[in-house]
Amino acid sequence: MTKKTDVVIIGGGINGCSLAYQLAKQDIDVMLLERQHLCSGGTGRCGAGIRQQWSTKENAELAIQSVKIFEQLDKELNAEIGLRQGGYLIAIHDEKELKQAEKNVALQKSLGLQVSVIGPDEIQKIVPILDIKGMRAIAATFCPTDGHADPFKTTDAYAQAARRHGAKLQTYTKVTGIKKKKNTIECVVTNKGKIKTSTVINAAGPHSKEIAEMINIKLPIKPLRKEILVTERVQPLFKPMVISFTDGIYFSQQEGGQILGGISNPNEKNGYFSDPTFFFLQHMAQTLLRYAPSLNTVNVIRQWTGYYDMTPDARPILGEVKGVSGFLQCNGFSGHGFMLSPMVTKLLTEYIVDGKTSEILHNLSLDRFTDKNIEKEAYVVG
Amino acid sequence: MRITQHPILEYDRRKEVRFTFNGKQMNAFEGESIAAALHANGVMTLSHSLRYDRPRGFFCGIGKCSSCFMTVNHIPNIRTCIVPVQQQMTVTEQEKLGKIPCTPFIPKKKENITREIVVVGGGPAGMCAALAAAEQGASVLLIDENNAPGGQLVKQTHKFFGSTEEKAGTRGIDIAKELLNGLKNKKTIELRTSTTVIGYYENEHMHRVIAVRRLIQGDQLLEISCKKMIVACGAMENLLAFPGNDLPGVYGAGGVQTLMNVYGVKPGDTVVMVGAGNVGLIVSYQLLQARVNVDRVVEAMPRIGGYQVHAAKLRRCGVPICTSSTIKEAFGKNHVEGAIVTKVDDCFQPIPGTEETIPCDTICLAVGLTPSIRILEQAKVRSEYIPEAGGTVALHNPFLETTKNGLYVAGDASGIEEASTAMIEGELAGVSAAISLGYNKNGSEVQQKCKNALQLFRSGPFGRIPKICKEKISSCLACEEGGTQY
Repeated sequence: MTKKTDVVIIGGGINGCSLAYQLAKQDIDVMLLERQHLCSGGTGRCGAGIRQQWSTKENAELAIQSVKIFEQLDKELNAEIGLRQGGYLIAIHDEKELKQAEKNVALQKSLGLQVSVIGPDEIQKIVPILDIKGMRAIAATFCPTDGHADPFKTTDAYAQAARRHGAKLQTYTKVTGIKKKKNTIECVVTNKGKIKTSTVINAAGPHSKEIAEMINIKLPIKPLRKEILVTERVQPLFKPMVISFTDGIYFSQQEGGQILGGISNPNEKNGYFSDPTFFFLQHMAQTLLRYAPSLNTVNVIRQWTGYYDMTPDARPILGEVKGVSGFLQCNGFSGHGFMLSPMVTKLLTEYIVDGKTSEILHNLSLDRFTDKNIEKEAYVVG
Repeated sequence: MRITQHPILEYDRRKEVRFTFNGKQMNAFEGESIAAALHANGVMTLSHSLRYDRPRGFFCGIGKCSSCFMTVNHIPNIRTCIVPVQQQMTVTEQEKLGKIPCTPFIPKKKENITREIVVVGGGPAGMCAALAAAEQGASVLLIDENNAPGGQLVKQTHKFFGSTEEKAGTRGIDIAKELLNGLKNKKTIELRTSTTVIGYYENEHMHRVIAVRRLIQGDQLLEISCKKMIVACGAMENLLAFPGNDLPGVYGAGGVQTLMNVYGVKPGDTVVMVGAGNVGLIVSYQLLQARVNVDRVVEAMPRIGGYQVHAAKLRRCGVPICTSSTIKEAFGKNHVEGAIVTKVDDCFQPIPGTEETIPCDTICLAVGLTPSIRILEQAKVRSEYIPEAGGTVALHNPFLETTKNGLYVAGDASGIEEASTAMIEGELAGVSAAISLGYNKNGSEVQQKCKNALQLFRSGPFGRIPKICKEKISSCLACEEGGTQY
């Protein structure tokens, strides 16, 4: 194993691999450390939806810019990422939700997004299998350029491109400690030896909290188990991702014909609980059939779990932290790491390479939590 | 395609049913699976592969592969090899992905069941486990995915070996009948067929499994809680990699047995058998009994793996057994039209120039089995890859209990062996589970008897591999996490 590198990235998910690629492309000597295999955490377990409809400006901006990158990523990385833009349909169940939606649509439109509030007839037209009465919808918002990409293909495309540019991706390498001298990083300690470096990017999902604790930085991240299931393949029925913040459900049909989706468990506690539950299977099946009764003969073939790395405001923690120079955060995505990754990693790369900072990095830094009136992202699902 | 004369078997063909396939009227007999009925009517292609549109036919016959997915009564993705054909049924080949029906939704109420012992799998191990546990006084629920219990035992027309006590000299089908009668007569055993266990979930103090029961009107969910659970869900047929291995006419040996010996349907007219282990030899002889021509048996190993008795029977009937030979390719447009076999060297590499083309319509693969351990894996028992077991198996103690308290494994699921030892293992697991619940009429004696019998079976030359397998399992169990130090 190389003993010295410019930048160490901890975590082999979508963000870690994208960072490795972008930094290596700028001729930075970079090494990525992953304790299992690439995609073994949240990235490989998520629904991999790509949504630009948000309630906070930072998330909306990051997502809109990310979609622009996703749209040309096949070409850039010379690989297929399985991007499909079938839109996101967000159900609105009452007047209060409608008001919030109108406000959000105005914000999103001001950022240049093509999005609109639609009525029941149009919902039915876009997703014919929905039962408007069953799902208790009065309207919806719809953005046609939202969509989905294959998380494995995308991460692999980044990883391969990173390797082509000289990045070293070390799997089955567990970080056991980080050593610093005064306020600068000295080295990263792993089960396979020490690596000298001055810059560490912490992209370890919920485990980012434990990584940061190694140098006494406290991150307000809590792991939250999320469950998801997939059905057998059936003929194409609909294109968009359908979601409801009230019911906590999201589901879409994959290119292969499988229905993939999840639902939040209101009683879920924070912690590393990894078992799939029967409660979820029942709750998801019942709610899904309320939304789309005609799916009643479709068999579920698999269910699994993963973690959201939840922050108090459900927004990511990005950039350098006070007190330790060269220790950067790229975590706390609260369930949205995949869809925001292209732009987030671009901003972080610019910061590392050129020292260029931005309003978004400033607004989403760890420091924001000292302010009691932080703006909370309302649009969290699953 | 139907077998009209058989030296041993009689088929129940009392009641005829009529169904349609792609709009065409067809006849079948009550109790037949849809796929078997279609085969009897000459329908060999059941589906087409999604990506390359290749025809797919009957392969495993026991609901483990996906080549028989069809749309039945407008519901897609039905495993037609384990669903019985019914009067007025409409069966259609799917246009690639199935189309969901537009029927109104009628929810079926979930059934909650609590039982002392649940046995998953109604083959030889499972039936014996249920009987042994009930014999000691425990109440048992026996679940099987198929339309009828019996597993692979109901397909064995040959006489078993071993001691008289272990039913030596009796045909598998007759042992199965005896066990099935025993199940019927035990009031403390409830049998649920057409029921598939789909999940194991954590629950304090109890095992909790979720199953789906396939009813004519639609499926029903079962939530089952039990104190002890015995997993005896058998094994899956191995596939061999060669060009054309997915053509209709290439069958697993179990699939051929199911077609011939359960439903009385001939798989074809001329067969090339791949594999000269006991399964390959026995099924070849069964094919002869069904008046199907067996061209030859090919075996990649330099010697015959199965019992000489079975090999000699075949040879007397003029079937050559070619060792150091294997199949290289299956060819045919929509169905097997022939096979190319070749000699192999000491490293199992084909020897150029030794290829031979054999006209045939059936290729039967008897190349081993892999234990089915999905439920055990869901329950997070410790498992280990053991080549002699046929794959990854759950570690278990001499009483067949896994590393999870009260969760037992028996039969092929505990490591590939054969039906006689599966029955003994089932009995041992069943009686041990009952004893742990406090039921012990003569349980300790039965345990000892079973352990002795297993030892005897595994002391001969053909028990060598299972013996190594079990030794490795216990040494893995003895060492700490990740114990591969055998």
